[in-house]
Amino acid sequence: MVSVQQLTKKFGRQVAVNSLTFEVQKGEVLGFLGPNGAGKTTTMRMITGYLPPSGGRVKIDGFDLYDDPIEVKRRIGYLPENPPVYPELTVRQYLEFVAEIKDVPVSRRRAAVDRALERAQLGEVRDKRVGKLSKGFKQRVGLGQAIVHEPPVLILDEPTSSLDPKQRVEVRELISHLKGDHTVILSTHILPEVSEIADRVFILNRGHVMAVDTPANLSDRLRAREMVTVQLRVPASAAASQSAKRWEDVRTAFNALPGVAEVSVHPVDDMLNVRLESAVGVDLRPEVAPLVVGRGWQLLGLAADSLSLEQIFLTLVSDENQEARLKPGSPTES
Amino acid sequence: MRHALAIARRELRSYFVSPIAYVVVTIFAFLSGAFFSNILVYYVKQSTLADRQIELVGRSDLQLDVPTMVLGEFFKNEAFILLLVLPLLTMGLITDERRKGTLELLLTSPVRPGELVAGKFLGAMAFFGVLLAPTVPLHVFLARGGAWEPGLVLASYAGLVALGGAQIALGLFISSLCENILISAFGTYGLLLILNFVDTSATLARSIWVDFINFFSFDFHYLNFTRGVLSVSDVVYFATYITLGLFLTQRSIEGTRFKRS
Repeated sequence: MVSVQQLTKKFGRQVAVNSLTFEVQKGEVLGFLGPNGAGKTTTMRMITGYLPPSGGRVKIDGFDLYDDPIEVKRRIGYLPENPPVYPELTVRQYLEFVAEIKDVPVSRRRAAVDRALERAQLGEVRDKRVGKLSKGFKQRVGLGQAIVHEPPVLILDEPTSSLDPKQRVEVRELISHLKGDHTVILSTHILPEVSEIADRVFILNRGHVMAVDTPANLSDRLRAREMVTVQLRVPASAAASQSAKRWEDVRTAFNALPGVAEVSVHPVDDMLNVRLESAVGVDLRPEVAPLVVGRGWQLLGLAADSLSLEQIFLTLVSDENQEARLKPGSPTES
Repeated sequence: MRHALAIARRELRSYFVSPIAYVVVTIFAFLSGAFFSNILVYYVKQSTLADRQIELVGRSDLQLDVPTMVLGEFFKNEAFILLLVLPLLTMGLITDERRKGTLELLLTSPVRPGELVAGKFLGAMAFFGVLLAPTVPLHVFLARGGAWEPGLVLASYAGLVALGGAQIALGLFISSLCENILISAFGTYGLLLILNFVDTSATLARSIWVDFINFFSFDFHYLNFTRGVLSVSDVVYFATYITLGLFLTQRSIEGTRFKRS
């Protein structure tokens, strides 16, 4: 449905998107994942025909963007990062205008607008001015605008950014409903979001593709460490030395456990929070209780955390050395 | 062209909910009316004076054709008011679309940049029509007083539309260059003032430059219309400015897409 070949964009000397090649099948949802400035927006703007590429080809449904821009644009619904709305129009007027410039025939325009209102759940605000709506509703208006002409391809640029968590869930559900009828390309910098919606994920950084895989495989591959949090209290009687040095003993004791990679100790009131990190596959929890009890400390809590996906992602894109590990086919670290 | 009409209709609709448009309509109607009555009162007084002279000495040195003079003065003033208000209407035409991100919507729709520019121009022209509407009763008023010169009035309105069209097209172009509506407004004021009053410097020149400078002047060509003279060269002059403005706007919209936004 969408075929992109060696798509490149240069701004002066800076390469924003470097020779991107991919295909998206009908009904598939492709997620672009990457930090700001990774080239997600630029790529989408090139596919939609807003930015002329410096090189490469884009084909939608067999039509080449360069040769048949009008045909290609008819087949795309695009939601830029900020919904492109006219605040002075009502939701219905706005959607009617978009339907008109997107070549929805007059006879079907009313039905198309009604359908978009329904699918984007805009019924209750249809006669309100867009400018008066909340951010969440504006975003839905943006989605309604993208689907009003029932395009086979939907391109959504960070559809949930700048929304509060509740709105985020709602918009995400909305996109999940659109799945199937449309081929969707969406970008985000939120990992769980992409794993929830997308069939396939591209990780972009500085214009390069760093990884391509299904969300499940990616998060497996990205999991670098196991983490255990221990909460304990050291009674004065069990302390070997004075208060300030008390937690040094704790650190040394935990460091001695087999398999521990890193220990950090944070005093909270009269308790200590100890964070233990280990390699993937090593569970430290069975070792913790005997150690604590043996020293005469009081064990208050014990929990295994996995590094949050966002955290992993951040270390990933900020650390060039991780790149090798992410290349498809290369062995994972375990 | 269907797209252009859709865009023009949307533009007109947006004008009617924008406070600037109402301010502009009010100012324009008020100033037009005020100038009209001042001019009328002045010439009526002159003509009374002339009558009195004829009564006393049998002749008058005042050569008066009141309707023609009132119309001539009135349309001269209208052009001046237009110069003040049209940049307020054109400053946001493209600038606002860019600021709101709706330019991205338009350019990723199956709309050609030419259609977009035509739509914007037609929308602004339609609102310009709305602006002129309150001046029509003034002519009805004149006509009821027996001073009805339909040819002169129509020619003058044609001149006003041509002049407004050229100013809107150029304002549209300036607006396509600017990211900020204030800069867009002042840029348009600057350009239009120069084009309007460039002929005043022509009166000082005593050479081949006179014709050359006059050729560029809005005023010089517009005043022919207000004298009831419809000449091909004046029509072509304004049509050229409109075409140039629209063409440059289209190029500018296409061109800015190559820059980082």
